[in-house]
Amino acid sequence: MGYRLCSFSPVFCLLSLLLLLPALAPAAEFRLISDSILRGFESNTREGDDFALPVYEYLQAEVGETGPLTFHFYGWGRLDLADSEYFAAYYGDSTAGELLYAYAEYRQPDTSLMARLGRQYIFSGVTSESIDGLRLDTDLTPLFTLSAYTGRPVSLDIVDERDEEILVGGRIAHHRRDLYEIGLSYRNLETGGGRESVGIDTAFFLPGGVDFSGFSAYDLGGDGWGEHYYEARFDLGPLRLRPFFERYRYEDYFNAGDNTGGPFIFLAEIGETLTVFGADALWNRDDWELGVKGKYYDYDERGDSSFFLSGLATRQLEGLSQVGGELGRMEGDGSQDDYLLARAFVYWDQIPPQRIFHFLTGDLVYVLYDEDIYDEDDSLFLSVGGGRRFMDDRLELRIAADYSYDPYFDDDLRGWLLAQYTFDR
Amino acid sequence: MANKSVMWLAFLLVSLALLAACATLQGGYQLPAEHPEALGAGRPTCTECHEARGEQFNYQRYDHSVFFTENHLLAARQGEQVCAMCHQTSFCNDCHATRVELKPSERHKTETYRRMPHRGNYLARHRIDGRVDPTSCFRCHGNPKTARTCSPCHPN
Repeated sequence: MGYRLCSFSPVFCLLSLLLLLPALAPAAEFRLISDSILRGFESNTREGDDFALPVYEYLQAEVGETGPLTFHFYGWGRLDLADSEYFAAYYGDSTAGELLYAYAEYRQPDTSLMARLGRQYIFSGVTSESIDGLRLDTDLTPLFTLSAYTGRPVSLDIVDERDEEILVGGRIAHHRRDLYEIGLSYRNLETGGGRESVGIDTAFFLPGGVDFSGFSAYDLGGDGWGEHYYEARFDLGPLRLRPFFERYRYEDYFNAGDNTGGPFIFLAEIGETLTVFGADALWNRDDWELGVKGKYYDYDERGDSSFFLSGLATRQLEGLSQVGGELGRMEGDGSQDDYLLARAFVYWDQIPPQRIFHFLTGDLVYVLYDEDIYDEDDSLFLSVGGGRRFMDDRLELRIAADYSYDPYFDDDLRGWLLAQYTFDR
Repeated sequence: MANKSVMWLAFLLVSLALLAACATLQGGYQLPAEHPEALGAGRPTCTECHEARGEQFNYQRYDHSVFFTENHLLAARQGEQVCAMCHQTSFCNDCHATRVELKPSERHKTETYRRMPHRGNYLARHRIDGRVDPTSCFRCHGNPKTARTCSPCHPN
């Protein structure tokens, strides 16, 4: 196999053992969801045509539902049945996989204490990171919430000699959940080359359906505010308005030390600051949603600006059935940044059960570029699909076919087949 | 270095003791681990059943409008527990993960009613979106593992 499921072996072994417990305790609640996806496409390379037939398996397991102790697992793997050059050239191997999370969770009854041990995703305050480690959450009196975590960032386990670094962090928040919340968060990647930062997040819920909320992050290593993100929400009955403001100082925002992805490293050195002003408005009446969104981008160093405006409309029909469309225009200071985007979609599930398909789908995306890219000025993506359920809805088969062309590829045809099976006890 | 380790260990032990003591106190409005009633399919609108600002909680903030996919940053940062009432972590991982090979709109190709990122041929369009606003790319592709999607064309 050309991949590692988990590099934090002791935790993985322990959790694997814990996940086996349901086999020994037949009364434990257990839910397993398997998504198997088969794709087929032809890749046109300089060496000639190459056909790829990758199969993906996504496996999710939840053990225990009502008890204080539960177990959670989610991972994926890929095998190219055609052993094509495409995956070997693009990803370095015909097989791949990733353990996205695998953790044990304990919730103390009648309190708010929660503990998680294992591979898990932390999305709290200044941290958005997957770690192999421990997390503790609890309320401290009715007015305070505390979260603390430590572990090894999963993102670093492919970096040479960096797979033993430890991330520590936490967030404490003061709140009245119906009036306001103020949170202070901290994260530090231990040992050199890491990133130490603090964040403050606020939310104020005012009378008249008005909310103000925002987040700011300060990079302690670079000594500067890397991110500001603030918005207001106005509830005017069927109409909701949301003006927002964002500001990013590249030197601090893109500076995550050795935890910065390669393509973004140079951005921390160009001295740029991006400011974004924008607003969106949504009108909701009966089954219709009509929305407009505008964003203005301004750069301190580049001295130019860009503007994006889009409008969308969706109509909710019976069940999950929906039909909708969107039209958007991006305009920069130069025509190289200008394009027009149009999208239309449909999802229809009001089909008699005796028919072949229980639901049908369609999606079309068209983009027109003001300036040619590789001598082409437009791209088209069209997808049609459908699905059917079996075995009391435990098994669902979905199929789709795509046609597309764009400046990079002519006349792409792709097939997609998904089998989803849900087992629970 | 040894002193620093001892300090961290002491801090951790004191924190655990404090947590254990405080966690036994009755909290204020305690969010349930799961939404009490099964919700129908499709995007939920919390205010269909709840007052916008009732019961010591701001339900309006979590109404899943058509823009919620793009606008849930702050609500999720501050209310991860709220999301967890209805969503398993796998739901969030479809977009927010250390590494997934299939882009979200490819993984859920027939769920056309979800405004998933990068729908359609995004390769050509990302040249412009990346020039205009690289911060939006960084949120998902910014660490060494997720950046492997970019590295075939954008080497270190």
